[in-house]
Amino acid sequence: MNTINLVLCGLGGQGILFMTKALSQAAIQKGYDVMGAETHGMAQRGGSVVSHLRLGDVQGSLVLPGSAQLVLALEENEGYKNLPFVAPAGRLFVNTSSPAFPNKKVKDYLDAKGIQCRGVPASSIAIAMGTPMSSNLALLGYFSASANDPFSHEDLRLVIQQISPDRLKEKNLMVFDAGFDRGMEEKKTLKA
Amino acid sequence: MERREILLGNGAIALGIVESGCQVVTAYPGTPSSEIIPEVVRFVKTGGFNTYVEWSTNEKVGLDTAFAASISGKRAACCMKQVGLNVAADSLMSCAYLGTVGGLVIISCDEPMPHSSATEQDTRSMAKFAKVPVLDPSTPQEAREMVGVAFSLSEEFRVPVILRPAVRVCHARQSITYGPMVEGGRKADFRKNPDRWAATPRFRLTLHAELNEKGIEIGKRFDRLSAHNFHDLKPGKQYPLGIIAGGVPYAVLRDILREEDRTDIPVLKLGAPYPFPESLTSDFLSACEKVLVVEETDAFIEYLIRDRHKVLGRLSGHIPREGELLPQVIHRKVSDVLSELGQQSLKEEESVMAMAVVKELGLPVRKPTLCPGCPHRAAFFAIRKALPKAIITSDIGCYTLGINMGAVDTILDMGAAITMAAGFYHSFEQDGVAQPIVSTIGDSTFFHSGTSGLLNAVYNGAKFILVIMDNLTTAMTGMQPTPALGIRADGSKGKAISLEKTVIGCGVEFMEVVDSYDLEKMNEVLKKASAYVNDPGGGIAVIIARHPCLIAYREKAIPEKKKVLITDDCVECNFCIEHFECPAIFQDQELGRTSINQQICSGCGVCLSVCPTGAIVEAA
Repeated sequence: MNTINLVLCGLGGQGILFMTKALSQAAIQKGYDVMGAETHGMAQRGGSVVSHLRLGDVQGSLVLPGSAQLVLALEENEGYKNLPFVAPAGRLFVNTSSPAFPNKKVKDYLDAKGIQCRGVPASSIAIAMGTPMSSNLALLGYFSASANDPFSHEDLRLVIQQISPDRLKEKNLMVFDAGFDRGMEEKKTLKA
Repeated sequence: MERREILLGNGAIALGIVESGCQVVTAYPGTPSSEIIPEVVRFVKTGGFNTYVEWSTNEKVGLDTAFAASISGKRAACCMKQVGLNVAADSLMSCAYLGTVGGLVIISCDEPMPHSSATEQDTRSMAKFAKVPVLDPSTPQEAREMVGVAFSLSEEFRVPVILRPAVRVCHARQSITYGPMVEGGRKADFRKNPDRWAATPRFRLTLHAELNEKGIEIGKRFDRLSAHNFHDLKPGKQYPLGIIAGGVPYAVLRDILREEDRTDIPVLKLGAPYPFPESLTSDFLSACEKVLVVEETDAFIEYLIRDRHKVLGRLSGHIPREGELLPQVIHRKVSDVLSELGQQSLKEEESVMAMAVVKELGLPVRKPTLCPGCPHRAAFFAIRKALPKAIITSDIGCYTLGINMGAVDTILDMGAAITMAAGFYHSFEQDGVAQPIVSTIGDSTFFHSGTSGLLNAVYNGAKFILVIMDNLTTAMTGMQPTPALGIRADGSKGKAISLEKTVIGCGVEFMEVVDSYDLEKMNEVLKKASAYVNDPGGGIAVIIARHPCLIAYREKAIPEKKKVLITDDCVECNFCIEHFECPAIFQDQELGRTSINQQICSGCGVCLSVCPTGAIVEAA
């Protein structure tokens, strides 16, 4: 199996670790070896938080810039900061409601490298569902609409169900589904 | 039954500890080592084992405790961050001489960059300083295996063994398979032998000779090819470039070379670098024209190679002398060396163009800050306001972030808030200058190494205000309990140590306890304390600023949430943003005015008394 590299980023408190857990759990259920790297300690206090995830036969826990097939960003600037990680023809999903996303210069770069980029209103979805702190689940749900390799929407949904604590299970799935619905809608519009 | 689980590197280390039948585990929390103990507790509880696990009050205390277990015949481990080993160095140096009975493994976690540490020091150098073996894992799985190797070595050679995982092992996550574990069932059996266990200087020379002998024997062991010291040289072949690596850089390098299919570059991995495997290394050197040493956090292997005429590395300037060896750094440096030697370099980096695009965006750097509602912010604000001319000495913990508020002038080491305050006092007092000094220290740091400094300061007549910022937890490292809580590492009840009684016990005669959120009261007490310090009969005034940490205690930390708004009375003076620095108060670019981010506002209400024009108000 070839190595799959993922980078998840955002700010302390946005639930990056939960997203990492969900994706790594999904990968392990698909029979992948999982390696990852997290931010802990002082850097966590309101600073940028980045989580690297590598699936396959690897020993290093950090992703080499330019080699991540997927980058999920829970905040726009953090998404930009981690742009160097995205591999050519890779995918970048960013939580943003800004109509100006992506920035013109960034767009030129994305086009040049054939990177697929989506601005996802994950925070708005989460707020609309009454759980402003769950933009991570909305983003994951949205991403799942176009996910098939190495894990599908069903794989991810199952994992959310498995790893959410009982008191949050229902809410988490609700936000995840709302994100998924939005992802499906936009997929249709894009095709049309 | 076998389990496959994604474990944090620290979890894998904990697994290694419990699997090895270790019966006594001690630690003081510190990034990146803090998660080892909670994971040990989890495995011990799952197995139903009778393992003794403690959060020690500091690293030296922890190592002394583990050492006693070792010489009672049991396996013992002591965990800490790299700078913690400095605190435990007194114990380490001596127990290396005395030797062990049951395996004694010291786990000291290094942190290049340094993300959350005072220094980028390399534990391998501390191991050499103490003349004890050190193992340097590349992955969580290898760290787990090396814990077992370390215990065996320690028992075979009767010497403490250090494992030094770096942050990218400690905070890596890896899928790991493990089976049922067996409890270490040894009974304590201390055999009196004063010539060894109570060795006076007369016997220390003999013990030193013994330790040197052990080092030679272990060096021979490390010279043999093993799972942790190996290379991929083909017999009889000569290479233009070879690479020696250990620890995390080895993992990075292995992935890069495999990804690019560079089987033309042989690698010597030294997972057991000290006592130095001299002949193994010299065999490798003989087969290569040049050898690049890629190691973290400092030049170590490179120094131990006696003949360095072929060697490139940190000393020759081919590898950066400081900072983390991230994959992109290793990729670039290896590529540069290959080009320099006229060899085919590595593939061009894909990210160079993106880096330039991102740089041009001029994105704001996000500094770590105190959380919204953090009680430390309130205390710092009060101190700055009441005593604007004070030198404020601080310490290691979340409150280090008071630096963003201009409320931290010095940080040295654990406990230095108090000892340095005394030093400042004596330096100014000598010149007849009454310099106001405020020392700020957290509750856990105070118990770690604040008391000895406070005793000294009281005894030697220093005069300053000491604010103990008591948030009822060890927050920065992940909410470990402090001795004042009376909760032990495994969650069981311990004896709670009263902070107040400890302060009084150190000879302090002025002590007040204030709720950190109460700015008015805090101001009043600071003024009173200042008067006491300046009184000819005064001394050290201690204020315990107490309020629970919001992350640890959540709702309990703020019983009545206040909804806060900024009214049109705001004159955009930026006072709150600059001096109170709450992440929930921000300059809204779209509205062009100072606003409250209701999503992250904790509702603590402390900011209500901060605004000079009274524009921060509670919503009706």
